[in-house]
Amino acid sequence: MTLFASIMIDGIAYAMILFMITVGLSIALGLMHVVNMAHGAFAMLGGFAAVTLMHRAGWCFEFAVPAAVLFTALASLPIERYLISRVYRRPELDQALLTIGVAFVAIALVNLWLGASFSAIELPPWLSGPIDLGFRSFPRHRLAVILLGFLVSAALWVFIERSRFGIRLRAAVDNAGIAQAVGINTTLLYSSAFAIGAGLAALGGIAGAELLPMEANYPVKYLVLFLAVVAVGGQGTLFGTFLAAILLGVVDTAAKYLLPDIASISFYLTMLVVLAVRPQGLFGRKEAA
Amino acid sequence: MADIAAAQTSPARTRWLGWIGPELAVVAAGLAAALLFPDDLGFITRINILGIFTLSLALVIGQAGIGTLGQAAMFGAGSYSAALWALHVSAEPLSGLLIGALAGAGVAAASGLLLLRTRGLTLIMLSVAFAQVLLEIANKAASVTGGDDGLADIPVRAILGLFAFDFRGRVGFGYTLVMLVIVYFCLRRLVASPFGLTCRGIKADQLRMRAVGAPVFRHLVVVYTLGGAFAGIAGALSAQTTQVVGLSSLGFELSAEGLVMLSIGGVGHLAGALLGVPTFMIIRHVAAAVNPYHWLLVIGVLLIVTILFLPQGLYGLLHKWRTRLRRGPR
Amino acid sequence: MKLVKHLAAVAGAVLLAANVAAAEPVKVGIIAPFSGPFSNFGEAWKAAIEAYQKIHGKSAGGQEIELIFRDLTGPNPSEAKALAQELVIKDKVQYLGGVVFTPNAFAIAPVVEEAKIPTVIFNAATSSVLEKSKYLVRTSYTLPQITVPIARFALEQEVKSVVTMVTDYGPGVDAETAFVKTFEAGGGKIVEKVRVPLKTTDFAPFLQRVKGLAPQAVFIFFPGGPPSYAVIKAYKDNDLKGAGIRLFGTSEADEKDLPAIGDAALRLESGMFYSGSHESAANKAFVDALKAVAPTAVANATALEGYDGIAAIYRMVEATKGQRDPEAAMAAMRGYAWESPRGPVRIDPESRHIIQNVYIRKVEKDASGKLIQKEFKTYEQQPDYGRADAK
Repeated sequence: MTLFASIMIDGIAYAMILFMITVGLSIALGLMHVVNMAHGAFAMLGGFAAVTLMHRAGWCFEFAVPAAVLFTALASLPIERYLISRVYRRPELDQALLTIGVAFVAIALVNLWLGASFSAIELPPWLSGPIDLGFRSFPRHRLAVILLGFLVSAALWVFIERSRFGIRLRAAVDNAGIAQAVGINTTLLYSSAFAIGAGLAALGGIAGAELLPMEANYPVKYLVLFLAVVAVGGQGTLFGTFLAAILLGVVDTAAKYLLPDIASISFYLTMLVVLAVRPQGLFGRKEAA
Repeated sequence: MADIAAAQTSPARTRWLGWIGPELAVVAAGLAAALLFPDDLGFITRINILGIFTLSLALVIGQAGIGTLGQAAMFGAGSYSAALWALHVSAEPLSGLLIGALAGAGVAAASGLLLLRTRGLTLIMLSVAFAQVLLEIANKAASVTGGDDGLADIPVRAILGLFAFDFRGRVGFGYTLVMLVIVYFCLRRLVASPFGLTCRGIKADQLRMRAVGAPVFRHLVVVYTLGGAFAGIAGALSAQTTQVVGLSSLGFELSAEGLVMLSIGGVGHLAGALLGVPTFMIIRHVAAAVNPYHWLLVIGVLLIVTILFLPQGLYGLLHKWRTRLRRGPR
Repeated sequence: MKLVKHLAAVAGAVLLAANVAAAEPVKVGIIAPFSGPFSNFGEAWKAAIEAYQKIHGKSAGGQEIELIFRDLTGPNPSEAKALAQELVIKDKVQYLGGVVFTPNAFAIAPVVEEAKIPTVIFNAATSSVLEKSKYLVRTSYTLPQITVPIARFALEQEVKSVVTMVTDYGPGVDAETAFVKTFEAGGGKIVEKVRVPLKTTDFAPFLQRVKGLAPQAVFIFFPGGPPSYAVIKAYKDNDLKGAGIRLFGTSEADEKDLPAIGDAALRLESGMFYSGSHESAANKAFVDALKAVAPTAVANATALEGYDGIAAIYRMVEATKGQRDPEAAMAAMRGYAWESPRGPVRIDPESRHIIQNVYIRKVEKDASGKLIQKEFKTYEQQPDYGRADAK
């Protein structure tokens, strides 16, 4: 029982971090049909921004984190407008290559700015240390991440299902041409969606800094991880990304607990199996050949 | 009338040049490099090997449109199998090459059966996953593959009993240059053949190809397997000339580097590989020596500039200049 | 006629003298990561070399030393070999130094052996590396060398049951093997040997497993940087300390990472060959020089590797008076003993590996409140236990 609870809690915490970071990537893929290999750079930017605000500007955690998220979202706007939008209609390979270039530049800039030393985000007292749930004590931080993940998922769901922005978003995902024809400003939509995705990635990066520590090589190191979640979940689907994150997060964690020898392969094997059975991902749409 | 007849039977000289002109250019370039930089033969050899690897990518991605980030799986398979062959069976290099090609082809065929049913991001992710799983297996099977330490001191006998590998790397250079030319020749023939035409048709529009009855899936598997064979050859050459093999030969970085080199040179043309590889390698060599922190920045910017402004890569640029020269001032 | 002959002779003599006097600097090639995830090695070594040169100057035995740095971002045997060949053939170096990773060391060994280039290994910590060429000498350490004393310490502390938890790659397995052998030979019980995949970032599952096994202590080995930071945090967050499980490590709480790890590292015990707070005149000179040339550099084991590595090269240049003489250089290294910032050290003539003290230390706060590794027990002059003939 304890083991099961351990696996579930650790696995879901990991999954929530993956979800927050990758949901923006999934939306960008489904909406603008762009494979953004540099998405991890936003998570990294959020983490480093938070660390800079806390260490160099002396801000406290509670203010630094929202500021870092906002900063990342805003910073993503010119990148989307001037670089990434130029490859919207280009083949996937070109998009991948351009965004890899962006990722390299991001890594180089961080390396120049901070050197290779990783930076840790100091959690405030109310988030650190263990909390005893009776049968086992868990790191407080991990439970907070799970809570945050659910809150974010719920908020996103409400936003996309109920708000006018959400309706426009779903319309553009379904059929961009007609959405434009009925007067939806797709350019504005793309930029906003991109910025939201980048901000969420920053939040996920900060929240996940314990599991995925901040370092200059972050975007490339975890690229495969993020892409895997999106591929398994299906592009452009909130629910798909959520479920894929849970599946991969829990499987990976369970393997670490139960079969540490194959823990490293379990993640990729799961991805292989899911994609072999359902190439479009769990909730993706089957594309015409 | 006379000019039509003349056009149909072009003189033997230009026909012959068309046949192996590009290969001669490669040989000339290689020899020139070796003569101008006799102390850098190891570096030039590496360029030759990565040239073959990137040519395999040019075939798979450029000609058939199979977007893969897992080509290193075949390179690594070729590397390890050639190394193990040399260590346990025979240090004769040409048989090692064959083994490497077979290993690369085998891995490609096996993974292709699954991969090639998918497209886009899914295909990319599956290719990466496959290469990662192979890497983890190689890591675990440390008693065979040396695991994290890799295999070292791989023996290699003289090629055809005549050319023994020397410290300065002259034989290694010649060996890899000859293989590069042979691979380039084969690929050029392949691309110009009906088979190659079908590939490009599939790349352009799979649906239509299916509609005209082309056996798309089978075709893709064959191309992917061939690409795997060539990547395996490159891997075997790497094992034989450097006499070491490590897990990095299966790594994601190698696949990504190949893609970057190809795109800088020009994805749609085989010659793109031959232009992109030296460009990337030389830039990295120079930039890293000047300041190791900055070369990622240079490559990143180069990639962005290439994709945005030079979609056909260096090949496209050179082609534009050549056409402009031919046409003359207007 | 005679005058011309005389002039010619004088001119010839002058030219000869000029040639001899204008001696070329001794070129030394340093192969290390200066970019990428392991660039902390290259940076630290470069700073440490500059610190050494600040104290000892840029010449040894009257010969100027020219350093050529080459970037090798990670374990990449083919590139390592290519770089070594380039340094030897093109740059015509007399000595090589550096090398972080074992696969890279294996790859350059044939080059070093064939070209007879004395090479100082600054890090690569697998015992069998030195067997690959008689021109290799190592000034760093091996995992068995520091792990055996840790196991002995655990036994002396009356710890009877241990779980080992190491990263699943060469050095990790070496550490595990050495610890297990020594601990079991001393009557201790190894409850389980856990191997953690290299890419792991989430250590909670592994530490929960350890907690469930309830040993008296857990012995860990993880490479520095994010994995070490994460495992120590996880040790604290999962309350293993509260469950009475002691933590024995090696270099996980490195001085460079201590500020980031924070108080979670307090009272953590480990065994290592160098601590920044080591009290000796030689260390003070090193720390001060390092701070002078690179204010942001940290005096840790990595930096020290560079410092002692270049010291060895200087010794060889001195012994050969700057001339290319590999046999004399290696002879000078065999048995060479000196006072390193880490303590007294000696190069074993048989194995060409460094013999040194291993210290057991604890993380504490010094007078200014800074977290340091404080040595409290010394195991003197430990050999490389990883060699087949070591006891």
